[in-house]
Amino acid sequence: MKNNLDTKTKNTWCPGCFNNQILAGIKKVLEKEIAKGKKREDFAIVTGIGCHAKIFDYINLNGINTLHGRVLPTCLGIKVGNPNLSILGFSGDGDAYAEGISHLIHTARYNADIKYFVHNNQVFALTTGQPTPTTEIGYKDKTNPLGVKNSPLNPIKLMLASGATFIARVFADSKQIEYVLKEALKHKGFAFIEILQPCLIFHKDIGYKQKTYWIDEKNHDKTSFAKAWKKAEEFDYNITKKIPLGIFYQIQKETFIDKWPQLKELKKQNKTWKDIKR
Amino acid sequence: MKIEGYIKLSVIQYNKMKFNILISGEAGKGPNVLTHLLGRALVRKGFYVFYSRDYQSLIRGGNNFNVLTFSNEAVYSNDFKVDVLIDLDEKGLGIHKKRLKKETVILSGKEKNMFFAGEIFKIYGLDFSLLERELKELKERFEENIKEARKGYEKQKNIFEIEVPDVDIILEGEDRFFINGSKGISNGAIDSGLDIYYAYPMTPATPVMNELAAKQIENNHVVIELENEIAVANAGVGSAITGAKTMVGTSGGGFDLMTETLSLTGIAEIPLVFYLAQRPGPGTGVATYTAQGDLNIARHSGHGEFPRIVLAPGDPKEAEELTSQAFYFSQKHQVPSIILSDKHLSESFYTLDWKSKITISKKATEFKRYNSYEKDKEGSATENPEIIKKNIEERIKKKRFIEEEAVVFEQFKVYGKTDSENVIISWGSPKGAILDAIDELDVKFVQILYIEPFPKEIWRELIGKNLILIENNATGELGELIKEKAGFNIPDKNKILRYDGRAFLRDELEFEIKKRLR
Repeated sequence: MKNNLDTKTKNTWCPGCFNNQILAGIKKVLEKEIAKGKKREDFAIVTGIGCHAKIFDYINLNGINTLHGRVLPTCLGIKVGNPNLSILGFSGDGDAYAEGISHLIHTARYNADIKYFVHNNQVFALTTGQPTPTTEIGYKDKTNPLGVKNSPLNPIKLMLASGATFIARVFADSKQIEYVLKEALKHKGFAFIEILQPCLIFHKDIGYKQKTYWIDEKNHDKTSFAKAWKKAEEFDYNITKKIPLGIFYQIQKETFIDKWPQLKELKKQNKTWKDIKR
Repeated sequence: MKIEGYIKLSVIQYNKMKFNILISGEAGKGPNVLTHLLGRALVRKGFYVFYSRDYQSLIRGGNNFNVLTFSNEAVYSNDFKVDVLIDLDEKGLGIHKKRLKKETVILSGKEKNMFFAGEIFKIYGLDFSLLERELKELKERFEENIKEARKGYEKQKNIFEIEVPDVDIILEGEDRFFINGSKGISNGAIDSGLDIYYAYPMTPATPVMNELAAKQIENNHVVIELENEIAVANAGVGSAITGAKTMVGTSGGGFDLMTETLSLTGIAEIPLVFYLAQRPGPGTGVATYTAQGDLNIARHSGHGEFPRIVLAPGDPKEAEELTSQAFYFSQKHQVPSIILSDKHLSESFYTLDWKSKITISKKATEFKRYNSYEKDKEGSATENPEIIKKNIEERIKKKRFIEEEAVVFEQFKVYGKTDSENVIISWGSPKGAILDAIDELDVKFVQILYIEPFPKEIWRELIGKNLILIENNATGELGELIKEKAGFNIPDKNKILRYDGRAFLRDELEFEIKKRLR
């Protein structure tokens, strides 16, 4: 089938892993986009290191499965190299919030047109269960037998403070992924999407899904920083009563490519640097 | 192997003359503008000028100085002893006492820098109109500058009678360039078809970023400063895989941060060009001074085994040429390339004849599925032992192809008395001082330009000779490489190593070489 983004690689996520929900949602939207006339070559995929990164092997798009923590500068480089590409970056919480946090802050600040998905399972799963910057206080594993003492980071607040122009959180449910990807693709600028994706082995679903609720879109002013901040404070990644999901914040700002006349012109002419003969 | 010597255009019709002028003053007093202006004026009148910069890691105050050497013959270095001292802040006399001769002319006072420009023009009997033209082209503060300059010119008397050629050379025309190494690198990158340059500011790599940034609109490329060297290198990877000709630049500490990505370019086979401008290390070292201590990290950094190119220009012309060769090898073989420069090369100005020979390269990179993991045919991660073994062998095989192809380039150059029993071996920026020091000595000089792939034929130049190693580092890294690759052990007593952050000076170096000649 022409629109099929399947690869031959065998899926090696654990049986029932929530990553499959993410994969299903992403593929469905992209295959629909392709059916509607987009080409496979209009998209690029970049992944980091960790369980999330296996998604690179299951979606047949050009791009790179890069180093741990370096998804965003790589995405930025691809965007600068070819401003016409629609770029999807995938990271885990280790990738995004530990190893690569400086890039997250700056890419948000640059407002580079990248759709960035963070598979947040609040644990380093592929290295067998160590805590990440979003693991709750008290979590124990072999490396932290005394329990985690540091407060978790709130990435939604970090993104608000860093100047991201699209900030969302969803649960690892294919329907939610489909919705948020469609919205993100419509957005011009940096789209930060956190996915709560409980790890079945090392960080079990502690009833997240039951505590989540969808932000009332009619009554939530997405352009209000103050309202988004208030919503973000409802869940501190620690002890939790309710977890808001949906789009917290969305505004329009000049994107990275539009800040550079050379890149803007390249985009206007629908060209890549490779097309420039010298 | 082609034997190349520097042609002396001015066949000795008159006596060789050479002057060293030391221009000293605290940062902010304008020693750089003065030096450059003087250099330009002299080059335009047919003289050969070389000047180097010595500046501290501060913005105002301290003691900065430049030494400008000019001659009616080619010159690529300074001497320790100087003929004129321009002391812009009345502190230089004390600081540079040891560099003075009995007859050194000292210009000192509270006047502004262009007053001294007027004085120096008069001292050498240069026409005031030449200075006026330079000041006009400088544009800034013309009225004030010309007034000061005239005062200095009128106050001074003519001291040195020099023959001023009746020429007016167009700078950066077809046959003469007044250029520093940074400009050489950036010209080379532009001539190679550079599309994108990423960097994070770091001395002494920043001048290349400045050069490229200034030309980005005119040449339609893009120069982007990112949050750190890690972002720089990885954005470089992202752009390179889209097919854009991409280069990143830094100095040693920043390069250390990039080495994880260098390793990625090894496995993923990405044609990224790294510009590594050396300064003294380890750590912060001495931020604004010079050294050649990073030959080993250029060769060995990045985990795992993978082919790479390491090229070491010794002057701005070679900087242009080798930059184009770095792009060529990267694009053709899909490998990383490293261009090794240093502070002395990147910031010193040279007068060079001839246009550089640029190696043209195609944009040979396809946007496809790249991987930091060993990958299968689809570009997906694999743990299959047969595929892993095959991938590694393919990468190692490239090394052989590159070695075979590199032979058509000048991997090393030979100068001086080619049949001499004495052979100097060096690389990079010491070239200038060596060429000037050996002018009248019984010695051959072998300059290595290709660190990787290393010229296998080099042994023919060295066998049975009295080998003398000259490097701007403490351990003789090239000497170790020669031992490893060609099997020659250079005795410690024949190693002339300078590692105080300063570049070699001709007169001192000549003395050191003479002691070791057979």
